[in-house]
Amino acid sequence: MTGPDVTAGSEVPPLERTIGLRDMVAYAGATWDWHRLHYDAEYLAKRGLPAPVVDGQVFGALLAEQLQDWLGPRAVVRRLHFRFKNLVFAGETVRCTGRVVAVDGDTITVEQRIVLIDGDEPERVAVEPAGAVVVLRAGEEP
Amino acid sequence: MSLLTEEIRALVGTEVSYTAPEPLGRAAIRYFARAVGDDNPLYTDDAYAREHGYDGVIAPPTLICETNQYADLPPDADGYAGHDWHIDIPGSRKVRGGNAYTFHEPVRPDDVITATWRLDGVTERRTSSGQEMLVVSSVAAYTNQHGTLLVTNEETIIFVAPAAGPNTGPEAAPGKTDGSEEAR
Repeated sequence: MTGPDVTAGSEVPPLERTIGLRDMVAYAGATWDWHRLHYDAEYLAKRGLPAPVVDGQVFGALLAEQLQDWLGPRAVVRRLHFRFKNLVFAGETVRCTGRVVAVDGDTITVEQRIVLIDGDEPERVAVEPAGAVVVLRAGEEP
Repeated sequence: MSLLTEEIRALVGTEVSYTAPEPLGRAAIRYFARAVGDDNPLYTDDAYAREHGYDGVIAPPTLICETNQYADLPPDADGYAGHDWHIDIPGSRKVRGGNAYTFHEPVRPDDVITATWRLDGVTERRTSSGQEMLVVSSVAAYTNQHGTLLVTNEETIIFVAPAAGPNTGPEAAPGKTDGSEEAR
């Protein structure tokens, strides 16, 4: 079995996810975070927000998933960082992209970002900069 | 107007600790994985996890940084039930800046999580459009009942002062907004 191409400059396969209100409600429950920003229409209207706001913390989970889906179960994410650029609203679709910056033995450094890919609108960045350090544990083929 | 009051400055160095009332649990792990759409069997299949060098299922790495399970706090007026420093700057918008996680050990279902938050620093800055903002940096260390350090979470929260002009009163200011153009 051939593993993924992991050299400096390699692209990390993108991860796309449409985040609907149902997903956001599930996430609010799963994380014990019932902030009204994520579901309460009246609360949002009072603050001039057009739709429920996706909890930014979920993007950490997606960035980690993108790397583990690519590298398999021997990959251990050691560090992950991300900064928020723009709000994401219920029903929008995000795409996590990434690129390998460096490979040092079993340690891989990647740069990532998250953009919104809705329709013909100009690209809106949700998360940038972002990135991770992943270690491939020995003794396992990907 | 300065956002950095003596009262806020005095909070720097403050620590607060929360210990979960129960182990993290397999259901919490499966629920989280389902909610974020991650079907990795490491989180649900003991045999698969053992084949890959773990003692059984593990939690998705970012779970304990995202959940408020350990805090066991009642929800506030906004419905939020997690750790908060209760910094109140009238009229400001509170936005998330970002996070940096370091994963030291895998988190297991039988781990009883203690989170220790420390307020590391507060810095005044200006947005590109000239608005004043206050950047609050905190660090959370998550340990289990054996005292093992599992994860560290460096978090930045930003308070953006209201700009002069129309529609910038408190009614137009979201209490909590995840991300913003200013949050750079």
